[in-house]
Amino acid sequence: MNASPHLRTLKWSAWLGWQIESNWADLRLFFLYLVVKPITGSLMLVCMYYAAKSASPTRVPSEFLPYVYISNACYGLVGTVMFGMSYVIVSDRENYGMLKYVFISPARFQTYMVGRGLARGLEGLVGGGVTIIFGLFVFDPVRSAFTGGIDVLWLAVFLAIGSVMLWSCGMILGSAVLNMHRNGMFMSEGIAGVVYFLSGVVFPISMLPNWLQVVAMSLPTTYWLEGMRRSLTGMPNADSPLGKSPFTEWSNWELAGALTLSTAVLFAFSQWFYHRNLQKAWRNGKIEETTGV
Amino acid sequence: MSSLRLFTQAALARTYPRAVWMVRNRTWLIQETVLPVLSVSAFAFVYKSMQAPPEFVGFVIMGAAMTTFWMNVLWSMGAHLYWERDSGNLGLYIAAPAPLMSILAGMAMGGMTTTTVRAAAIVSAGLFIFDVPLQPTSWWLLAGTFLLTLIALYGLGMMFASLFLLWGREAWHTVNLLQEPVYLLTGMNFPLSIFPTVVSAIALLIPLSAGMDAMRQVLFRSQGVMDVGWEIALLAVLSVVFLFFARRGLNTLERRAREEGTLTVRWQ
Repeated sequence: MNASPHLRTLKWSAWLGWQIESNWADLRLFFLYLVVKPITGSLMLVCMYYAAKSASPTRVPSEFLPYVYISNACYGLVGTVMFGMSYVIVSDRENYGMLKYVFISPARFQTYMVGRGLARGLEGLVGGGVTIIFGLFVFDPVRSAFTGGIDVLWLAVFLAIGSVMLWSCGMILGSAVLNMHRNGMFMSEGIAGVVYFLSGVVFPISMLPNWLQVVAMSLPTTYWLEGMRRSLTGMPNADSPLGKSPFTEWSNWELAGALTLSTAVLFAFSQWFYHRNLQKAWRNGKIEETTGV
Repeated sequence: MSSLRLFTQAALARTYPRAVWMVRNRTWLIQETVLPVLSVSAFAFVYKSMQAPPEFVGFVIMGAAMTTFWMNVLWSMGAHLYWERDSGNLGLYIAAPAPLMSILAGMAMGGMTTTTVRAAAIVSAGLFIFDVPLQPTSWWLLAGTFLLTLIALYGLGMMFASLFLLWGREAWHTVNLLQEPVYLLTGMNFPLSIFPTVVSAIALLIPLSAGMDAMRQVLFRSQGVMDVGWEIALLAVLSVVFLFFARRGLNTLERRAREEGTLTVRWQ
């Protein structure tokens, strides 16, 4: 396979994605836009924590704050890439009327979607990073959680495997939207919400009923978030409610192995799903269809 | 044809595609009911894992239901004229004899219909799954507050729609920006009383905050920022103000858009 057309497509689609995302405002305003969303999203969880604590001060352990704060900041990356790659289809097809031209051009269609997702991924990475730094400065419990230091090597491993996971998630949603109307763009938010729930982003999955824990353990996002939390703040205390997670006994190697395996399955599925949906969209004339309700 | 009749017919005609979409596009059943319920569950489990009082889970469910209206106001009202312009419909709306306000009223009625189904699914499933204790002081007061909140909210949506007539991609990003910060400021998942008084007072100017705070007081007998009567009065004032400014804004900005030639500009 000749890699050059893929690289060219990736480069220019990422550039285009970044321009569309960023050049509507000056750089300072854009940066503010980039960080306001994730920070306020995490602050909402902080407010929930303090509301619960003020209602029942003795019941809420302080480890919950860094747990929800860091998980939510990391999950922002999943949300932005999933939404970004599916919104590409809606915006290029319905707003700009360009999807059909991209489809018939020599550009590689999947690589084009990945490139556009890459631009959103960068936004998510900056937003998540700034959110964590903000938390370190403002909230004592978040700062205390980082006292053990960041495990940079494992962080890099989980980020690397996570990028393939994000690519696969984005491809699945983008492919589904190919055969949907404009309202399909809201589906990615709905799916992101379901994954948010099932991956135990803001609560330990041991809280879920047993049958849902099985579903949670089949999702790569669950392993990825656990890995990210561990790399950033270490293992939770065994006597804390967060220490009762099914992963307590797992080493980082086991966690990375489970993440790799589940990501491989997800990737294979995403490729099959993409090719199937692309064929269907092409046959049904969905590549150039514009809708609106 | 009298102007009232023209207004009504145009509004109903614009309501029709949004309402009939529920019957023609069955995927919405999953997308608009099951998925939101599952995502709400995450926040309900946050409170459960923190062993918060049970009415807090009720706050989350009500917040999620009301958020669907906020999302509808932002995406299907505020940003919609921007989309209509991109798809070439805006010029037709302006050229038609029906007033643009009737088009917006139709979009609001259609949006309310579909969103009410979604919100009802979230509330029913939420109450059933999480067994939230309800202690309403008055169902009539609850229904009245809810309706008034919707009028104020959709009035605000109409105002956004007129503002967004002038914008290009900024409109899309502004709508995006009005989600998480507004969820935070309106206390979507937590009582507003945890904010300092100044912040709560500012937050109450968003109909979603005043409406939710009043409905929480009625439904869960929780403590609110202000008395329910005052919050209802505030919602009534906000409804009038938003609808008034929506009408004025629409006229002014439509004229400006005509003068600047931006009514048919696409792909900005």
